[in-house]
Amino acid sequence: MNKKTFFTTIGAAMILLTGLLGLQPGLQAAEKVTLSFDHWYDNAAIAKALMDLQAAYPQLLAVTSIGKSVQGRDIWAAVINNPKTGPADRKPGYYIDGNIHGNEIQGGEVALYTVNYLLKNYGKTEFATRLVDRLVFYVIPTMNPDSRDFYIHQAADPNSPRTGWFPIDDDRDGLKDEDPPEDLDGDGSITMMRKRDPLGRWRTSPDDPRLMVPVKPGEKGEWTMLGEEGIDNDGDGLLNEDGPGSYDMNRNFGYNWQPEYVQGGAGPYPFRWPETKAVRDFILAHPNILGAQSYHNFGGMILRGPGAKNLGDYNPADIRVFDEIAKRGEKIIPGYTYTVVYRDMYTVYGGTIDFMYANLGIFCFSNELDTDLVAEMSPKKEGEDEGVMAMLGREENLDEMIFRDNVEMGEHYTAWKSYKHPLYGDIEIGGAGKFSARVPPLFKLAETCHRNAAFSLYHADQMPVAAFEAISVKKLEGGVFQVDVHVTNAKITPTISAQAVSQKLHRPDRIVVGGKNAALLAVGEIQDRFLDRTFPVKSIKNTFDVDGGVPGRGRREFRLLVKGSGAVTLTFESLKGGTAEKTIELK
Amino acid sequence: MNPFRRISNVSLCLFIAGALTATGQTPAAKKAAGFRLPAEITGAMNVLAGKYPALVRMEVIGKSAGGRDIPMLRLAGAGKPEGRPAVLVAANVEGGHVIGTEAALRMAEKILDGYAKDQTLLDTRTVFIAPLLNPDGMEAYFAAVRTGRFGNGRSVDEDADGAMDEDGFEDLNKDGMITRMRVKDPEGKWIPDPKEPRLLRLADPKKAEKGIFKVYTEGTDNDGDGQYNEDPPGGVQLNRNYPHDFEYFVKTAGLYPVSEPESIALLNFMEVHPEIGLVLSFSSENTILNQQQTAQAKAGGDKVRVPKDLAGYIGLEADRDYSLKEIAAAANAAGLGGGMEITEEMIAGFLGQGPAVQIDQADQPMFEAAAKDYKDMLKTAKMEGLEKHARGVGKGSFAAYVYFQYGVPVFSADLWQVPEAKKEEPADKITADKLKEMTDEQFLALGEEKIAAFLKDVGAPPNMTAKVIMEAVKGGKLKTAQMAEMLAKMPKKPGADGEDHPDAYKLKWSDTALKGTGFAPWTPFKHPQLGDVEIGGFAPDFGLNPPPEEMEGAIAAHVDFYLKLMDNLPVLEITGLKAEPLGGDTYKLTALFSNTGKWPTSTAQGRRARTAWPIRVSLVLDKAQTLFSGQPTVSIPLLSGGETKKLEWTIRAAKGSNITVRAWTPKLGTVASTVVMN
Repeated sequence: MNKKTFFTTIGAAMILLTGLLGLQPGLQAAEKVTLSFDHWYDNAAIAKALMDLQAAYPQLLAVTSIGKSVQGRDIWAAVINNPKTGPADRKPGYYIDGNIHGNEIQGGEVALYTVNYLLKNYGKTEFATRLVDRLVFYVIPTMNPDSRDFYIHQAADPNSPRTGWFPIDDDRDGLKDEDPPEDLDGDGSITMMRKRDPLGRWRTSPDDPRLMVPVKPGEKGEWTMLGEEGIDNDGDGLLNEDGPGSYDMNRNFGYNWQPEYVQGGAGPYPFRWPETKAVRDFILAHPNILGAQSYHNFGGMILRGPGAKNLGDYNPADIRVFDEIAKRGEKIIPGYTYTVVYRDMYTVYGGTIDFMYANLGIFCFSNELDTDLVAEMSPKKEGEDEGVMAMLGREENLDEMIFRDNVEMGEHYTAWKSYKHPLYGDIEIGGAGKFSARVPPLFKLAETCHRNAAFSLYHADQMPVAAFEAISVKKLEGGVFQVDVHVTNAKITPTISAQAVSQKLHRPDRIVVGGKNAALLAVGEIQDRFLDRTFPVKSIKNTFDVDGGVPGRGRREFRLLVKGSGAVTLTFESLKGGTAEKTIELK
Repeated sequence: MNPFRRISNVSLCLFIAGALTATGQTPAAKKAAGFRLPAEITGAMNVLAGKYPALVRMEVIGKSAGGRDIPMLRLAGAGKPEGRPAVLVAANVEGGHVIGTEAALRMAEKILDGYAKDQTLLDTRTVFIAPLLNPDGMEAYFAAVRTGRFGNGRSVDEDADGAMDEDGFEDLNKDGMITRMRVKDPEGKWIPDPKEPRLLRLADPKKAEKGIFKVYTEGTDNDGDGQYNEDPPGGVQLNRNYPHDFEYFVKTAGLYPVSEPESIALLNFMEVHPEIGLVLSFSSENTILNQQQTAQAKAGGDKVRVPKDLAGYIGLEADRDYSLKEIAAAANAAGLGGGMEITEEMIAGFLGQGPAVQIDQADQPMFEAAAKDYKDMLKTAKMEGLEKHARGVGKGSFAAYVYFQYGVPVFSADLWQVPEAKKEEPADKITADKLKEMTDEQFLALGEEKIAAFLKDVGAPPNMTAKVIMEAVKGGKLKTAQMAEMLAKMPKKPGADGEDHPDAYKLKWSDTALKGTGFAPWTPFKHPQLGDVEIGGFAPDFGLNPPPEEMEGAIAAHVDFYLKLMDNLPVLEITGLKAEPLGGDTYKLTALFSNTGKWPTSTAQGRRARTAWPIRVSLVLDKAQTLFSGQPTVSIPLLSGGETKKLEWTIRAAKGSNITVRAWTPKLGTVASTVVMN
């Protein structure tokens, strides 16, 4: 993989472009903000980075707290809009969130990187400038600040805490969250416990004494695995059976929500927790959002919904849009595969991305950030299925130890050490630490950030550009003009999703004919330009609906009969697909 | 939305649900009829709280979308009510079912007034009473112009045109209610019913009938879009907003399940009160008489296919159907869980199997027994008429949520229906009711001719000939009772073959009992947009609530029935505890745990939904006592009515020392017993 450090590039670019940036107000401060993507940002650090950027780019960036987590942390949102190019609600919105699962932290860095990238390159590269000028970006780096901070600062493992911190009585003993795992050996991670036991089902691997292999029939065992580090806090004979929370906020959204027994972690009803509520309200408050990305880890996937098959696949016209953008994504992020959640992965009811698409008509992807570096060390065996292997839990192997020893140089591995356990007596504790999997090693973080930001910004760039083209005016009898109007869209994404059209999710796109002396008499959609055929289109008070919107890389052609004279302004107004305006003269 | 389609689609149309009756009275007249305004209901609740300060606590569990309080009464007797099993009485989620509100209040009064005589109920249980779960909708019921819509105060863009509530109804003829407009139109599809010309029905082209009228709701096209009243004020219909089988993309059901503050308030209340073990509801649904559900079970039930990769790994075939149990067994045998047991539930989740949609067989006896008692009660109270028009739950209904997700028994009663005079039938005529009581042999003995006549009578599809049915019964593929139930539920064809219009009995009742006030006669009106129209039809909330003389009887009978239902609730007891010495400071401890009530300690659906709690048994040992065999905590998933389960432990303990055994579930409270080692 290309390990070119882009820090150098950015640094060089900054020096080169200082002059250009100098033309922008707020520039002095801008130079002082230097974000680096070689470490993890906790929630306070995210807030500070965003505030610093806001101070540096006050005209482009607004940072707000959209609500508080269960433990009272702010959930931060960054809104990038250039007011000089129009108010936010008149432009297509692109939304990014990350880290709804507390342990999947790198989405936060990718989101932050994206904000930083757009601001730093505004006025420098044509691409960033164009995006900032014509779109609005809504970015929530972490939806789950409680678990993010816990994962970064407290003892965790690569898979947890995924949950939020609303207490739940997992083991139904009347107490909530009373028996979490503990970092007994103090290495900062929750690793594994094992006990020497001749009747155990595991023995030491002949290849590496730190590894164990299952005993085969007839072999003598050496070890019994006791699960994750911890004690029996509540004396019920069970270990770690009631840790924090234990629910899944990415199953708590409002489309195809299913109860706990169908979808584990769903909670008692949609948007039950302050974090999911805050994000819902933020999204609903910005109906101009048309494209979105929700970052998760891990596995190198560009996901689209639906999460479950029971309510059917997405609208075929929209699938073509997803397909085309994701196929490009596979090239932007080598190793990532375009994947349909229910079909190629597993069933997810009540996921964020389905709510966005099905209820709100937003083209939303979810990238599963980062690939398995250990697996990449050795070629895949013929006929081995990744899905099944993942379910089984890949057998620890020698490659992994090479990675731990020689790539990570021991940073994320704790050798087995003896420990006196209050319940089990003499045991050993050890294994790979919380940063050993799912999040990228820090030397890879910058690449993860850049490539995924590049993909999401490519997706954002495919938000529609509506424009009036080829307007012709023909004078008829009696002060009436025949005006032929083409509305075009140069990008892949339509101005309204087929889902929104078919389910009537929100108002249709429309064209308003403005002008002191203009009266719209009749409208037709041009069916055949050469034979002068049109379909009738209903108009109300100088306004008509562009039912179905303007398709991706397509056009809609209308013929208007307008009575009047002088300047007439045509305005195309789409809730999500932006606006376009053109003034013509009737004479 | 096209109002025409809306009117024609009876099953989906809450208008019509609302349009099910009849009191053509002004708000003031309604008050006189015994129905109180929301503020008066809250006032009455406060009066009760003042009259019985030791028994009643009034709280506000939330606010409606329109900013109104949602009040709740807690009735509890002496001692500490916390931890006692509880019953929730919920009324009028629909807003316009004001008789339900009155019934819930009457229930509170009866319980409280009766406490001085008999303390059993309130000293052992808590009763929560929520008579006003949709205050905005109830306020709308008493509005100056009755619309038949009882949504909450949220604005909804029903026609998705970007404007909210911009095209509501108008009471054009100033009669205080929104009825229908009929307009002669060459494209019209409706004709007057030949037997009852005031009622309209769809023209039948097969009979060479030609439509005459287009039908609209009363009002004008305010926004000039060519549609009438397609986006009226008054928002989400709360009884469609609950999360079992929620209907997406229906604007008045809410954007997503539990989107409304009223629904959230009620569910949060129920969440922090897991002691609620029974919900008694008053709504337009009668789930005691009609257990029909909103979704059909998938064909093939539990049998599913296994994806190829997984099938190959666990040794199953990809192109065959397996039960979840078989797949779980194969997965476990293949070691897929890596030591953790793979359950059917996990397989169901992995394969994306959906939620339950039918009442669990194991829960049926409880509901059937209640239905039997209920029918007996209706007979005594001369209210058998309720049975014929009993409506089952709708999509997103509160009652369906309670059973399928909250996981406790729920009963909903509609209290009253427009009475329908019984038709005289020849004594030997076969009816669906008679069929229900027949054995398969008796059915076959009727002979092909009689069966054919019966099938024709109920309007069975042509492929269901007497022969086919008889073969199916003979072959054991179809039970007579099953068929009777199926056929009883088939909709009658309106006006077919000289049949009465399905609404004819309502009109007749309006003419007589209501002296015509339930139906506005068609009257010409000069409509500003449609020209010459006639305005008329049923009152928009016809049939939802009874006239005053029928109300108290219906309420009294139902309140008594609901109170009696509470006697069935499970009761957890430790019915035996002994310690037998085995010698050497070793004792065998035996405890008996009993459910001395009639109903099981949890429903099967509750266990499936994991919202029913197991009974958690725990031993309280001192430091010197050790457990030799048995677990310190044991879960008993279920005790059926009257059932006893025995648990045993072997304990090392000093002679004379005590051991306490506790059993607890939030739904049944805590019981404990102590034994001395002797």
